[in-house]
Amino acid sequence: MSKVKCDHCHLEFSDDVMIHDGEYRFCCNGCRGIFHLLKDEGLESFYSKMGDTTLSPPTEQFEASTNFDTPAFHERFVTTTKEGLFQVSLVIEGIHCAACVWLNEKALHKMEGVIEAHINYTNNKARITWNPESVKLSGIIDMIRAIGYNAFPYDASLQEVRANKERKDYYLRMAVATFATMNMMWIAVAQYAGYFTGITQDVKTILNVAEWFLATPVLFYSGWIFYRGAYYGLRNRAVTMDLLVVTGSSLAYLYSIYITVFEKGEAYFDSVAMIITFVLFGKFLEVLSRKNAADTLDIIGKHIPREVSILEGETIRSVDVNEVKVGDVIVIRSGERSAIDGEVISGEGSFDESNLTGESEPIFKRLGDKIISGTTSIDALIHYRSTKDFAHSTLSNLVNLLENAMAQKPSIEQLANRLSQHFSSTILFLAIATFWTWLFWPHSFDRSLMVGISVIIIACPCALALATPVATLVGLALGAKRGILFKSAAQIETMAKATMVVLDKTGTITQGRPEVVYATLHHPFDHNVLHTLVSSSKHPISRGVLEYLERTEEGVDSTSLEEVREIPARGMVGRANGVVVAGGNALLMKELGIAVDAVSDKSIFYYAVDNLLVAVYELRDLPKARAHESIEILKRSSLRVVMLTGDHEAAAHRVAKEVGIDEVHAHLTPEGKAAFIASAHQDGHIVVMAGDGVNDLLALAAADIAIAMGNGSDIAIEVSDVVLMNDSLTSLTEAFGISRKTYGLIKQNLGISLVYNSITIPLAMMGYVIPLIAAISMSFSSLLVVGNSMRVRWLYK
Amino acid sequence: MDSWVIAMMLGASIFLGGIALAAFMWGIKNGQFDDETKMMNQVQFDDEAELNDAANQQRKQEAMNKREYKPE
Repeated sequence: MSKVKCDHCHLEFSDDVMIHDGEYRFCCNGCRGIFHLLKDEGLESFYSKMGDTTLSPPTEQFEASTNFDTPAFHERFVTTTKEGLFQVSLVIEGIHCAACVWLNEKALHKMEGVIEAHINYTNNKARITWNPESVKLSGIIDMIRAIGYNAFPYDASLQEVRANKERKDYYLRMAVATFATMNMMWIAVAQYAGYFTGITQDVKTILNVAEWFLATPVLFYSGWIFYRGAYYGLRNRAVTMDLLVVTGSSLAYLYSIYITVFEKGEAYFDSVAMIITFVLFGKFLEVLSRKNAADTLDIIGKHIPREVSILEGETIRSVDVNEVKVGDVIVIRSGERSAIDGEVISGEGSFDESNLTGESEPIFKRLGDKIISGTTSIDALIHYRSTKDFAHSTLSNLVNLLENAMAQKPSIEQLANRLSQHFSSTILFLAIATFWTWLFWPHSFDRSLMVGISVIIIACPCALALATPVATLVGLALGAKRGILFKSAAQIETMAKATMVVLDKTGTITQGRPEVVYATLHHPFDHNVLHTLVSSSKHPISRGVLEYLERTEEGVDSTSLEEVREIPARGMVGRANGVVVAGGNALLMKELGIAVDAVSDKSIFYYAVDNLLVAVYELRDLPKARAHESIEILKRSSLRVVMLTGDHEAAAHRVAKEVGIDEVHAHLTPEGKAAFIASAHQDGHIVVMAGDGVNDLLALAAADIAIAMGNGSDIAIEVSDVVLMNDSLTSLTEAFGISRKTYGLIKQNLGISLVYNSITIPLAMMGYVIPLIAAISMSFSSLLVVGNSMRVRWLYK
Repeated sequence: MDSWVIAMMLGASIFLGGIALAAFMWGIKNGQFDDETKMMNQVQFDDEAELNDAANQQRKQEAMNKREYKPE
C-alpha cells in the first residue's frame, strides 16, 4: 500500500485510512479543518514555506478559552500599556519551523484589534498586544488553537525584562568599544611605524586627533559602567578594580590629550580603548552568568495553586487560596495539587508526596488521614476539612523558608576581588609617592606628573581584570562539553574551595526507580499475561517488573485481559481466559487468602494465578553505575562525603554501605536536611549539595553550591548552581576536577600579572618607561594570561 | 604628499564606519538580533505579502494612536 502525505501535517499514512476531500488527503478532521481555514484566510503559502517539516496533528482537548478572560487571569498575566492596550506574554506550543512562526504572526495580524504579535522562534514565547474594545483574549487564543497550535500564559517577570535590558545595554556598549578599538588598531600601526622609521609632527598630530576622537566614546560611553562601579565602591569605602581601571584609563586619556595639544611625546589613546574594551568583555561574561534569586522564586510561585475549590452546602465555588478559613471543606480532584493542609472527611485515593519526602511511592489516603499541602492527588476525589489557613500551611512555610535560605546564602569572596582591593590601593599610593619624590628630587612639575601617571598606566589592570573571567570561561566551556553546566562563573571558584559534599539518596546516588533484584518462580505461568497486567499500571513497582520482564524474557508481548482493575495501595487484578490473575503486595495476597511471608525491607511484588502464588519479585532502588568509584574519588580528594535521605534507616544504611559512604543521616524532613547544612556551615565547612527533588530544595538553597541532576524537578534545577545533564556521579567528580583545575589557573594568572607588575612598576617609578616598553607590557601581559588559561584544555583531558 | 590628505581619508573612513556602527546599534535597540533563529530565517519571508502586512500593522497602530489622542 503506497503511503500518502497528509496535506496539512505532511505525515505519511496509507491512502485507504486518509480522509479524501477532492484532490486533497488528510489524516484527520483536525488537519482538514486547519487546511481549509488557512485557504480561506489566504495563508496557504504556509505550506510552501514550511518545506519538508512535518507538523503534529492537532489535538482536540483544550481547557475552555474563556478561562483567559477571567479577572484572576487578567490580574496575573495581562499588563496594560500606556495607550490603554492590553498585553500578554504567551508560550506557543507546537512550533516546529520558521513557517509556524510566520503563520501564527500572520493569522494574528489579520485579526481585528490585534495591534502587535511578536513571536520569538528560539524560545517560542510570544508577546501579543491587543485592543480590548475590539477583541477578547479568548478570541485570540481560539485563533491560535484553530490553526493547530496551543498557547499558555507565562509571567514575563520584571527580572526577565530587566535582565534583557541590561544585556542589550552591554551589547551596545561593546559594539561601540569594539568598533573604536579596532579602528584605532590600524591608526596605531601607522604610529608605531612612524616611531621606528620617522614621522613628521603634523602627521603624528593628525593620527593623535583621530585616536582622541575614537577613544572618547569608548571611555565615556562604554566605560561608563566602570565610572559607576568606582563611584558606588567609593561610597561604600571600598577601593575596587573599577576604580583602578577608571583612574588608569582617565589619567592616560588626559595625559594623551596634553601630549596631543602640546605636540610632544607619545599618546596612549589606544591603550585607553584597549583596557576598557577588554575589561568590558570580561565584565559582560560575569553579568551574563549572574543568577537572579528573584527569578527562581517566581518559578516556584507558579507551582503553588492560586485557587481552590471549596464546598459550600451543595455548591462548589473556587476561591482565592488566601480566603480559605480553617474548617472550610475543600474539594480536590485527581491531578490537582493541594494548597492547604487538612484532614480527609470523605473519599479516598492515592497521593503523590514525592515533593515532600522524595520517595516516589504513592500514599493511600482515606477518612481521617492528613492531607499535606504541596502533594498531588493521583486518582483521588476527596473532600477534606482545612486545619490551617494558607499562610500557615506546609507549602507556604516551605516557600518562606526557601526565600530566607536564598537571601542568606553565604557568598564566598572571590580571590581576584580581594586581591584587587589591595592591588588598587597599592598602585595608587605608589603613583602618588613617585610623583612627590620626583618633584622634590629637583625635577619639573611636568616631568614628575608624567612619571607618576606612567606608574598607573604601566600597572595595567588589564591582566589582573582578565585573570579570572578568561580562566573561568575556559572552565565553563570544558564543563559544558561534558554535560556539566555551571550557571555562574563565580561558582567554579567556590566549588574548588568546598570541603564537604552532601548527597541525597533517591535519584542522586540511586537511580530513583525500583529494579527487580531477585525473582522466585514457584510455578510456570504465561509471562504475556503478567506483562499485560503490569503494563496497565503506572506504579513504580509495576514499571520495575515490566522493565524486568522485557529485559529477561524474549518476545514477551501483551495479550488481552479482561476486567483489569487497579486496587489502590494493593495492586492489580484481572481475568485472563476465565482465570483470575492478581499482582501486588502482601496485603493484596492476604485479602485473596494466599499465605505469604512478608519479612523483607525490599519492595516485593507477588503474582498469583487462580489463587495460587506463582512468582515473587523483589525490587530495590539500586545505586547508579560507578557510584562507588565516584564516591571513592571524592573521598580521596579530601572531601567529607555525607548522605542525607528522607527514607528509613535500614534502606539508607544499605545503600550507603554499597557505595562506601560512612556518614549517613536518615529519616530527615526537607527542613532537617537544610538544618544539617546550616550546622555544617557553622563548623566552617563549604558545602556542596547534590539533589534532584523538591524535597531537597531547602537544602539546595542553603548550600554554597547546589548541584541538580538534569532529570530532576524543574524547581531543583532552577535553585541549583550546577546542573549535571547526564545524572551520573562521575560528572560530579568531573565537576570537582574542572573547578579545582580552573581555580588553580586563576591563581596562576593572578600570579603572572603580579610578577609582571613587580618588574614593570619599578621601571616606571625610575622614569625608564619609554612608549615601546609601555606598549609591549600592555599587550604582552594580557596575552600571557589568555594563553595560560588555554592550557586548561591540556591540563584536563 | 600633504598631510591634509591623510586627515581627509581618516575622517571619511571613520565617518563611513560610524554610519555602519549607528545602523548596527539601531538594529540592536530595535530588537532585530533578539531572536537569533528567527533572524536567520527572516530572508525566507521577505516578499510583497510581508511588506503589505507590515504596512497594515502600522496603519492599525496609527489608527489606535489617533483615537487615543482625540480630545473628548
